[in-house]
Amino acid sequence: MTYLEREPAAPKAWQDEMQVTNRYTYGVAGERFFRAIKDESKILGTRCNNCEHTYVPASLFCERCLDHLDEWIDVGTTGEIVTFTHLYVDYDGSPLLEPETIAFIKFGDGGIIHRIESNESQQIEIGMSARAVFKSKTERAGSILDILHFELMTS
Amino acid sequence: MSMRKVAVVGAGMTKFVRRALETGKELSWQASSMALQSCEMTMDDVEAVCLGTAPDAFDGVHMNGEYLSDGAGAWRKPYMRSYVGGGTGVFVPIQGWYHVASGLFDVVLVVAEEKMSSYYPHAQGAFLTIFDHTTERALKPNLLWIFALEMNRYMQTYGISKEDIAQVAVKNKRNAADHPSALLGDPNITVEDVLNSEVLAWPVNRLDVSPVSDGAVAIVLAAEHVAKRITDKPVWIEGVGWNLDTAYWTNRDLAYPRYVEYAARMAYDMAGIKEPRKQINIVEPYDPFDYKELHHMEGLLLADRGEAPQMVADGVTQRDGDMPVCPSGGLLGVGNPIAAAGLMKIAELFWQLRGEAGNRQVPGQPTRGLAQAWGDLMQVGTVVIMGR
Repeated sequence: MTYLEREPAAPKAWQDEMQVTNRYTYGVAGERFFRAIKDESKILGTRCNNCEHTYVPASLFCERCLDHLDEWIDVGTTGEIVTFTHLYVDYDGSPLLEPETIAFIKFGDGGIIHRIESNESQQIEIGMSARAVFKSKTERAGSILDILHFELMTS
Repeated sequence: MSMRKVAVVGAGMTKFVRRALETGKELSWQASSMALQSCEMTMDDVEAVCLGTAPDAFDGVHMNGEYLSDGAGAWRKPYMRSYVGGGTGVFVPIQGWYHVASGLFDVVLVVAEEKMSSYYPHAQGAFLTIFDHTTERALKPNLLWIFALEMNRYMQTYGISKEDIAQVAVKNKRNAADHPSALLGDPNITVEDVLNSEVLAWPVNRLDVSPVSDGAVAIVLAAEHVAKRITDKPVWIEGVGWNLDTAYWTNRDLAYPRYVEYAARMAYDMAGIKEPRKQINIVEPYDPFDYKELHHMEGLLLADRGEAPQMVADGVTQRDGDMPVCPSGGLLGVGNPIAAAGLMKIAELFWQLRGEAGNRQVPGQPTRGLAQAWGDLMQVGTVVIMGR
């Protein structure tokens, strides 16, 4: 039961649903970025040499100078944790059965937001390295969830 | 009130297509970069960015303005998205205009984008979400409904037939055959084709309606001293106007768009236009449905009430007629990626007034044009008058 439904003093309400289904194209850059994840277990960025900036996820254009970007770079699958949070409740206020850790992992001049899996002996800290763990190739669908999670690298 | 002169100095547009591979960001970037290249400017020259996009539901990204900002060149610049539904495409250049006219900025990039194909299975479904949730939404309304109810009222009030109205679809789809970005140009379409197309919501048939599309358009606005340095063919924004009627459709006149008249009067006053029928050479009124072009010509005071169909029948609104209307091919022919379609009309006037419209060029070296869009909850009018 969501937080609002648990509220006894809430005013009477009309219930309706808005059926929203979307079918998004990946885009020109997205096609290549997600194919690299799906087919090659690679994370790709694009480089703007004018602005000396590497976009991850890859972008078709530089947002700073609007140049077309066609220099593609394999940025590896291990990045540095810029920040993280531990999640204890869902978006509607329901407690999560298992707390989840979400982190921003830096690649190039950008990065990826993803889940972190760690074993009990590992304490996550900003600045640690984390490596992408991919689903088995047969299970991949061209989604950011083709990366199952990132795992902490203990040096 | 002292305001600076503002010119359009560059324009670019993507193809309008049914379903683009490009994301909305990528479409915005293509149009922005074409507009900048057309006037040999770079992002370093741009001081602020204005973006227009219609309901977030189409692109399927809430706060679509923020989502599109990188493709629109907004990085580390003053940036603002405006939104008045279907009227957005002609409102966002007004917003850009006051950014420059006020003296705040010398160069502003104005971008309009829509990627309607993201909404599945059909963009009409997105319109369900714009109606009152208790009084109307339970009836599952969509835009075809609204247009059908309004079109029927317009036909009944003035004794206009479906044949009269279908001529507009024929004219615009034929005009669009000359537009390199058009989705539905057809040089051979006939009134019979329109009348024989599938009935969607009587009296609206499929070919009375513009297509759902993906696309983006961008223009560059500059203050007078900059414009004169960049080009010897600046196209000035001479007047702007916008106006809202009641948002509740049972409380307004469906046969006559009073709010369009008020928006037009505001723009005519600013441009010093006393006799619009003589002083406007090209008109790009909003034509998402064929009868809307007629409805809007009347609201713009460019035709007497109920008389716009006669102008079409007499050939006055053909590209080589006395008052060309939608020489671009309009939304009915070029396509209707909502906000981008409105800004396409501004870009068309820019090209027409510079003599750069190619096969679409209106003869006689036109000096002044008017673009208009319509939208929100079917009760906003937005008008821009441009001249050279």
